[in-house]
Amino acid sequence: MSTIAETAPRNQARRRVRIDGWRWGGRAFLVFMLLYTALPMIWMLLTSIKSGFAAMQFPPQWWPDQPTLASYQKLLDPQNSVGQDFLRFFWNSLFVSTATTILSVVVAVPAAYAFSRFTFPGRNFLFFAVLLRNMFPAVIFLVPLFILMRAIGLVNTHGSLILTYLTFGLPLAIWLLKGFYDNIPVQLEQAARIDGATRFQAFILIVMPLSAPGIIATAIYSFIGAWNEYIYAYTFLSKNEQLTLPVGIQRFFSENTTDFPGLMAASFMMSVPVVVLFLVLQRYFVRALTEGAVKH
Amino acid sequence: MTIATGKAEARATLQPDRSGVLSQVWEHRADYAYVLPAIAVMLIVIAYPIYYTIELSFFNTPPGLQLRDKIFVGFDNYTAILTSQVFWKVTWNTLIWTLGSTFVSFVLGSAAALALHREFIGRGVLRAILIIPWVISAVAASYIWKWIYHSDFGIIGAVLVGLGLADRPPNFIDSVSTVLPSLIVVNIWREFPFAMIMMMAGLQTVPEQLLRAAKVDGANAWQRFWHVTFPHLRNVSTITILLLAVANFNSFIIPWIMTGGGPSNASHIWITHIYELAFGRQRWGVASAYSVLLFLILMTLGYFYVRALSGNERKDGSA
Repeated sequence: MSTIAETAPRNQARRRVRIDGWRWGGRAFLVFMLLYTALPMIWMLLTSIKSGFAAMQFPPQWWPDQPTLASYQKLLDPQNSVGQDFLRFFWNSLFVSTATTILSVVVAVPAAYAFSRFTFPGRNFLFFAVLLRNMFPAVIFLVPLFILMRAIGLVNTHGSLILTYLTFGLPLAIWLLKGFYDNIPVQLEQAARIDGATRFQAFILIVMPLSAPGIIATAIYSFIGAWNEYIYAYTFLSKNEQLTLPVGIQRFFSENTTDFPGLMAASFMMSVPVVVLFLVLQRYFVRALTEGAVKH
Repeated sequence: MTIATGKAEARATLQPDRSGVLSQVWEHRADYAYVLPAIAVMLIVIAYPIYYTIELSFFNTPPGLQLRDKIFVGFDNYTAILTSQVFWKVTWNTLIWTLGSTFVSFVLGSAAALALHREFIGRGVLRAILIIPWVISAVAASYIWKWIYHSDFGIIGAVLVGLGLADRPPNFIDSVSTVLPSLIVVNIWREFPFAMIMMMAGLQTVPEQLLRAAKVDGANAWQRFWHVTFPHLRNVSTITILLLAVANFNSFIIPWIMTGGGPSNASHIWITHIYELAFGRQRWGVASAYSVLLFLILMTLGYFYVRALSGNERKDGSA
């Protein structure tokens, strides 16, 4: 019914819009944005399948004459010293990001729930204190944290990274999750309580399943944030076997400044996990970000 | 069986004379347990560093992180910063960087959100592609663009030469005059998707009936946007701009990886400069004083951030 009712005025509008330039302007703009967004990534891919010699030509080979996967083979080959390093960095990043993600969900879920449901004195103050953390750049915390980590013996361990990532991931995680809890009707829990469930049971059996999308989204955010983090890893880690991908790649290519195909291949592979994660779970990702800022 | 919010009110009415802050805190003692883990982590990793930074900013420190031999110098670090020429250069760069990136990202992101609002074939795919730069690591983005800007083999230079617009490839990031705008382009590449996502969500809150009513009344596309859509987006826009501004003010990776602040400080912004002072030149005291100044600026911004956020909550009636 409603679709029929809607198509009629839309057809009329389409006829009128043809004169009005807004829609064509919008299309042209989208094409421009698509080029702006995609061309650098396409150039990264094209460069990564060239040989080092083919990449260093002027004018450039727009399309590689002899495409080769040599750079990827080199990076993924555990026999080769480059591949060994790359795979180790990859594994380190994976470990740190996963640990951070699990811990931040575990800590953020009860906190977000409390901020959403309870009205205890100081609730607003604490909530904004948590949010304010988001405002301050890593640099402010670097020196004291470095000294703190040294004091508790965590420098050059992945523990130092997980602990710091936890703190910068938490405010966002709490904020995102609070948005989800706010949208779960409190009556559902009340009904469960009336039926004799304890608050904890109501939380586990009613609220948790309903907030699963929020938890997934929060987890993706924590993961991507930790995966891409650079400045703490750059400062806290100095041993080669400990480095995470962003720092590892940087250190590696400050020694081999001309291997652009290798650099592009490494950048591509570093992006694959997060882009795949994002594309697969896009729905949750976009919704979570906007849930806190825009209420429906 | 009492319920979450009803509990406190019920008790308050029963015992009106005992509703002091302390007894309220005591009544809600169990609630704090939920927040405690989060607060504890925050205290260790935030409150202590802030305190330490403030303390360190009043000391002259020897190089190396053996900080036992520091000497109290009062406000010397602050006066040294405010009278140095680099400070004003870096502040100017930071202003251009923050305002330029924020403004253009917001405009491009909002325009893209508007253009994507209408249903058409391939909209989902297009939206996903436009968001990808925001997901990938800033380190990867910096390297991709560094290669694109390369002074001998960069693709932009080659295109410009091919079209006859330049005799030889321009030197985008090694020249004092072009380095900052070139880096801003990279930053916008990574940031506009964020504005786009936020504005897309904002657009969904605009009531369709109002737009249709305006159309029936003969409003053209621009009038509909300005009088119906735009007022609904004010809240989202404020928050988006603030978040973008804070993120840009705090950026580090793109300038650090692409230029390291050079050539001759032309692309140094506050954060990269502080980092270099601390970990490059090991002047911890001065770097801490810089951080405290930064902190004060951010607190001012933070005041507006919280006000915008709580304004949003109040309107919603949930806080």
